[in-house]
Amino acid sequence: MLDTAKTRWHPVAATYDLPFRHVFHAQLLGREFAVWRADDGYVNVWENRCLHRGVRLSIGINDGRELKCQYHGWRYSNRTAGCTYIPAHPADAPARTITNRTFAAVERYGLIWSAEEPQGEVPELPGLAEGELLTLRGIPVNAPADVVAARLEGYRFQPNGRTDGSDAKVSVEASNEFSVALRAVDGEASTLAVFFVQPVDSNRSVIRGVLDGKVEGAVRLAVLHHHNDLLSKLRDIAEHEAQAQPVPAPLEPVIDRVSPELAEMPEETKHGRKATIRVEVARKWQAADGIAGFELRPIKGLLPTFQPGAHIDVHLPNGLIRQYSITNGPGESDSYIIGVKLERDSKGGSTCLHETVRQGDVLAISEPRNNFPLRRDAMKTIFVAGGIGITPLLAMAQALSNQSLNFELHYFAQNEAQLAFPEKTACLGTSLKPHLGLSPEQTGARLREILSGYRSDAHLYLCGPGPMLEAARHVAAEAGWPETAVHFEYFKNTNVIDDSSSFEVALARSCVTLKVPAGRTILDVMREAGIDMPSSCEQGACGTCLATVIEGEPDHQDVYLNDAERKSGTKIMTCVSRAKSARLVLDL
Amino acid sequence: MITLYDYELSGNCYKLRLLMGMLGVDWTTVPIDFYPGREHKSEWFLKINPLGQLPVIEDDGLVLRDAQAILVYLASKYDAVGTWYPRDNPALLGEIGQWLAFADGITGTASAARLHDALFYDFDVEAARAGAHRLFRILDEHLWFGEQEGRDWICSASHPTIADIACFPYIMLSEEGGVPRQDYPAIRRWCDRVKRIKGFTVMSGVFPAGPAKAA
Ligand SMILES: N[C@@H](CCC(=O)N[C@@H](CS)C(=O)NCC(=O)O)C(=O)O
Repeated sequence: MLDTAKTRWHPVAATYDLPFRHVFHAQLLGREFAVWRADDGYVNVWENRCLHRGVRLSIGINDGRELKCQYHGWRYSNRTAGCTYIPAHPADAPARTITNRTFAAVERYGLIWSAEEPQGEVPELPGLAEGELLTLRGIPVNAPADVVAARLEGYRFQPNGRTDGSDAKVSVEASNEFSVALRAVDGEASTLAVFFVQPVDSNRSVIRGVLDGKVEGAVRLAVLHHHNDLLSKLRDIAEHEAQAQPVPAPLEPVIDRVSPELAEMPEETKHGRKATIRVEVARKWQAADGIAGFELRPIKGLLPTFQPGAHIDVHLPNGLIRQYSITNGPGESDSYIIGVKLERDSKGGSTCLHETVRQGDVLAISEPRNNFPLRRDAMKTIFVAGGIGITPLLAMAQALSNQSLNFELHYFAQNEAQLAFPEKTACLGTSLKPHLGLSPEQTGARLREILSGYRSDAHLYLCGPGPMLEAARHVAAEAGWPETAVHFEYFKNTNVIDDSSSFEVALARSCVTLKVPAGRTILDVMREAGIDMPSSCEQGACGTCLATVIEGEPDHQDVYLNDAERKSGTKIMTCVSRAKSARLVLDL
Repeated sequence: MITLYDYELSGNCYKLRLLMGMLGVDWTTVPIDFYPGREHKSEWFLKINPLGQLPVIEDDGLVLRDAQAILVYLASKYDAVGTWYPRDNPALLGEIGQWLAFADGITGTASAARLHDALFYDFDVEAARAGAHRLFRILDEHLWFGEQEGRDWICSASHPTIADIACFPYIMLSEEGGVPRQDYPAIRRWCDRVKRIKGFTVMSGVFPAGPAKAA
């Protein structure tokens, strides 16, 4: 019986088991689940083990958006169960492969239904109408499900409103191995009771009963007590019966192990700029003067886990590919929200999004990539946003705010009407500091105020137009901020790329040597030779096509690496940078 | 100042640290080497508590033993608002007394199982575990119906009482004695609520809760 049980839906919890900010500990056929409701109402049913050390997630913290493991603080997102932060690696973005196993969840009849390998739909019961029923207290029983189900066929109870009587006629309306439907009739009064037996393990079950009809107040309590008392008696008898039988061996669910390599290593590289996800523009609105907001919902399935600072490539109807940061707060995983500024010198990207793309349109996007990871171990975090540079920093600020961590978000714009996503920034309270209508000189002076008095354990994140970033980096350096504490993201690389050099690139791990002639990029030449390499902006700004240099002198032309990284000569952006030496050896 | 004869891993001592933390009173600690030193059975300690048990407090020359008795004393003396042990509400005092006795029953079962598993005491561990499950079933049912009636705490009050504090530690530590709480979802939810009481502190084996959802 239990072999086919895997494919059927079973209740694993009741709605009342999932108050906000709680993690329920469920079990079905020997497999444990951590079940939790996010603040947006979504019910998550996950394998009850943290990928890190196998610690139970049911003792973790549900912060309304993410589940945090108690031991080492790994955080997992609502819906996707993807890891968004690993405290032991504060500077790194966790690989997307670090994702807990999730299971189906359907809420019906005041119960949460799940299945290991569900086939078909959650049972529809003719006599039970959603909203017009009463879910009884679940009764755990130390006995096998079939013993309990057999006992339930003989269950005798009074219909609602007649619980003080004792002579109702009870008939079995339907029954199978895991459920029994009974009707009690006493004069005019009639109540349908459906009992589902949740097979917890080979020798453990939970009786989950649902009654038709809505009852309130004292009658409701009387009905709940009536069944609780009767079911407790039934439980005692079933347990007695089970004790007389040999104890069956506990079920051993197969736990899919994530290999340590997969859980620690960066994601596997993919060819080219893939747009594997189809999304619908669920909403398009004016997020500020000159800025359009887009809410992108998946056509089917779930969107991949994103982390604060991550961006996606959006493939536009006109063939262009543009990068946009995800502005969502933690756990807001049902759609991605991006902000697009109409650029005066648009080459067609922002114009297309502003003018052509409409609500209901379908777009292709890439999976999110995070080359601008946020540390969450700083004593203090300062965000400096210029204009549309708010987008990645908004996601970051919401993440820190959710964890009650200390930060300031300085938002420079020309005027109030240009401050984007006011509904999101409003939730940041006094940590949001707008600076409006400042001239470049005034901006410089304000930055000197903000960045003065560097103290260790502080981190700075900058995003905005090139000249402002240059100025802010300069001010930070003067104020004593070490480069390791200053993180930045440029929208674009305005350097004029000099691609006149020609050189040789040896790929150490692939054992090939390629010639890069003038006019072509390392990335191009590698792709042509069939070498996998992810890329995104392809102009040296986003950091996706980074490679490690083993030998040779890079000719940096990007705006992604900081000065220390450039000087070290160990990293290169393969989309724009080249070689000063005749030969480069890359760790690819 | 209050002096607490304390052992960090003792749930009974933790009851007092919890309440004193929530009441915001200061105390000093005399650490007792319970394990492996068995200092609670030493001659000097038996003079303070002939039962040879922790916890004991000393306050203004008064020496008191028994966690529940001490909770009554501390709440009566130091709770300015008077909600933890409301002296003017006989029915509620009766309920509190009933659940304080229940808490000692949890010590006799769940804690005994833990001492067996963690500190290698020689008890009938199966009997101790069965006893703990029997009590947990009763409490879970009580708390579930409480939720249905809009009551968050063990006793019939809109606020926690010392009964909640007395029951909490050995429930929270029960897994260390091989008594899982999976079958007691209403107890698990109540544990979250206790952890969210202002001034709540942890001990080894007890984790904090995250913040509740803002209303
Ligand atoms: N009823 C007492 C029980 C105290 C108790 O069992 N204390 C443990 C330490 S947590 C102890 O001292 N056990 C040693 C013994 O009983 O010999 C109370 O609530 O304080």
